[in-house]
Amino acid sequence: MNTRDLVLIALFAAIVVVLGLIPPITLGFIPVPITAQSMGVMLAGCILGAKRGALAFLLFLLLVAIGLPVLSGGRGGLAVLAGPSGGFIIGWVVATFVTGLIAERAVREGQAETRQFIGFFLASVLGGIVVLYAIGMPWVSAVTGTPLLTVATGSLAFIPGDLLKAAIATLAARAVYAGYPLLPARA
Amino acid sequence: MLTSLHIEGDSLLHRLPVRVKLIALVALSIVLFLSGSLVLQAIAFVLAAGLYLSVGLPLKEAIARVGIVFLTIFFLAAVNLFLLPVGEVATLTLRLMALVLFAAAVTATTTISAFMDEITVLLTPFERLGWLRAADVSLALGLVLRFVPDIFARYEAIREAHRARGLPIRPLTIIGPLIILTLKDADTIAAAIDARGFRRQ
Repeated sequence: MNTRDLVLIALFAAIVVVLGLIPPITLGFIPVPITAQSMGVMLAGCILGAKRGALAFLLFLLLVAIGLPVLSGGRGGLAVLAGPSGGFIIGWVVATFVTGLIAERAVREGQAETRQFIGFFLASVLGGIVVLYAIGMPWVSAVTGTPLLTVATGSLAFIPGDLLKAAIATLAARAVYAGYPLLPARA
Repeated sequence: MLTSLHIEGDSLLHRLPVRVKLIALVALSIVLFLSGSLVLQAIAFVLAAGLYLSVGLPLKEAIARVGIVFLTIFFLAAVNLFLLPVGEVATLTLRLMALVLFAAAVTATTTISAFMDEITVLLTPFERLGWLRAADVSLALGLVLRFVPDIFARYEAIREAHRARGLPIRPLTIIGPLIILTLKDADTIAAAIDARGFRRQ
């Protein structure tokens, strides 16, 4: 790995930490405030690609594990990983990898703008929502004993918010892609 | 800005080496998950709670640290009450609370440098395989700690710029510039690292 990639990974992990420090943003039409940090998976995958994005989140996971309060709301430490939502936090690494994998293949320079938007949105939804829940929900079910079907039904409440996050991440990722493209330079 | 969750003290957990604590945490989770005994989970819960409260955290802080996780646990326990026998719900809930409390106790009694030393040891086999270098992991970690305050300052500058123009603060108009401005520094930082020969390449 060259030094530039190492720095990009570290800087993105730092960005994800800062996204957790930003106060949650309330949107008029959705009652639950949106934490910017939860968009990190989609952003990292779409901006840095599979390998570097996943490594950025692995580094972030390391920060959580060694007891730095880097999760939104000042949470951190092994207790969060041992709790019911630990699977979602560990799942971030895989989710970012899949998001990146799809984004790398779907988005190319010289494509029409709309195609790039669609590519980033697909990557965000499949990686940041489908893969993430596929890891997080069985974990919740295994740890708490709540039947998977119940967990899945309950999780449906978060889907509209997640789709909105995917839309915001798509627009932001495409803005970064236009301004400072990093995705084609695969690590 | 990023103060560790470690707390000074001289309890039993403070004196134990990290490796022992981490192995104990893994062992405890395996034993509790394999055992369906309510009594065992209850004993583990009482012991873990005792350990956690004895590490020297003020009570308010101690509760705040596990508060959100416990809230999730209680919510899921409440859901479980409709679906599972009461005894099983109690077993599941006590197990989870015991693990969370013990994990919080390990976090509170271990310094970041102690964790890093242990991680360096854990990475040695991968280093032998040539997959990565432990020094790179420490460097990356140091970079994160170094740049979080900078990036946060940049966020505040962008927010001020929004205010000055009377624009509402929207995630989209903040995140894009924040990421571009931050990642654009990567080349300069990488050049500085290489110029100093930190990675001995």
